[in-house]
Amino acid sequence: MSGLAPRSRRALGRELTRLANASVAESLAHSTQRPEPSMEPVRIGFTGAPGAGKSTLISRLAKHRLSACREKGGVAILGIDPTSPLSGGSILGDRIRMDAIANEPDLYIRSLASRSSHDGLADNVLDLLEAVEGYGFREVLLETVGVGQAEHAIRHSVDTLVMVLQPNAGDAIQAMKSGVLELADIYVINKADLPGAKKSASEIRGIVQRSQAAWRPPVIETSQKHEEGLAKLDSAISEHLAWQAEHCNASETLRRRRHYHVQSLIVRRVSELLEHQPQLLDATSLAEAYDCILLALAEDTQ
Amino acid sequence: MSLKGKRILIAKPGLDGHDVGAKVIALALRDAGADVIYTGLRKSSEYIAKVAVDEDVDVVGLSMLSGSHMALVSETMRCLEEYDAADIKLFVGGTIPEKDREALLEAGVCGVFTADMPLQEVILAIERALS
Repeated sequence: MSGLAPRSRRALGRELTRLANASVAESLAHSTQRPEPSMEPVRIGFTGAPGAGKSTLISRLAKHRLSACREKGGVAILGIDPTSPLSGGSILGDRIRMDAIANEPDLYIRSLASRSSHDGLADNVLDLLEAVEGYGFREVLLETVGVGQAEHAIRHSVDTLVMVLQPNAGDAIQAMKSGVLELADIYVINKADLPGAKKSASEIRGIVQRSQAAWRPPVIETSQKHEEGLAKLDSAISEHLAWQAEHCNASETLRRRRHYHVQSLIVRRVSELLEHQPQLLDATSLAEAYDCILLALAEDTQ
Repeated sequence: MSLKGKRILIAKPGLDGHDVGAKVIALALRDAGADVIYTGLRKSSEYIAKVAVDEDVDVVGLSMLSGSHMALVSETMRCLEEYDAADIKLFVGGTIPEKDREALLEAGVCGVFTADMPLQEVILAIERALS
């Protein structure tokens, strides 16, 4: 594929809107019309605190990834930004950091709002990933909302997870010791030209390399001012993908994805129910309210 | 009415380098419930059309202070057509002389907004255009 044809871009754009807006019932109906997902295309996730530089880093990295897989279908980027809990609106600002690559023909960038999701991802994100892959993109780079400590959902949605940190995150790093810091495959200290980067990198190394897991996560320093760190990150991602292809059980991965998918649909169905029938909460006790919601859920399936 | 669920691209075509107005509108649209994407400064019509299509927006707002609004509007419309996306609506804002308003509306623009209009009025007009 040498660039998506104009009409296909239009079709993919519309398909993603439809999927992102789908209710739980629509999403389930859609799932019966398509083939079971395969593991073949590659998903790389990026997570980290707001302002750590995720979008800019992805933009620079996408160039490297593109040059390796242009012949095989190109690269798509899905960038998620938060939906306002007050107005339901959002400013989707990831794309503006990706200006330098915006004219690449084999690249597709789509901005998503988190909507009702509170896990750093967006409603129906797995459907969106599959739709993009269905258009032949070889790699999808998925950027989460800026996250703190406990947003693990991305772990189940991607093959390789990159955690982007910045120097002197200090207490935040301490706090994250038993959170997402245990889950990523690669750690990046971004803005490594800032003072304190070396110290931060060695602290993170101290934490993550204690891990007994078979894959030892590398800690890589990157900076806007140097290309070297970026090249290291690019090869670390390729190494991890190759390692994973050899060591990971594909059916186990698909099973974890399904676990997350089913769970997120149920959570959202409960939100839908409560939005339409707030009286379900008026029960006399917590346990009774819980039972009322379970009953309402059961009616769904009848 | 609300703009909930609507996707809107705010774009700065051409060479003028001031986007305070564009950002004010972007925030007002967000507060009205829309998902808003902003292009940043100095974008070509081709680029704006491509982003509008990739992001599948309902409407594109062109913010222009340069005086080239007539040319930039027709250029952006032509580029949208190339993507089979002539149905994506356009509104314009910025420094638009009163005498050009009619011609822009005739060209197919769904709204012409200037700095003296109250924000609430702008939002309502966009809601009406999208409903």
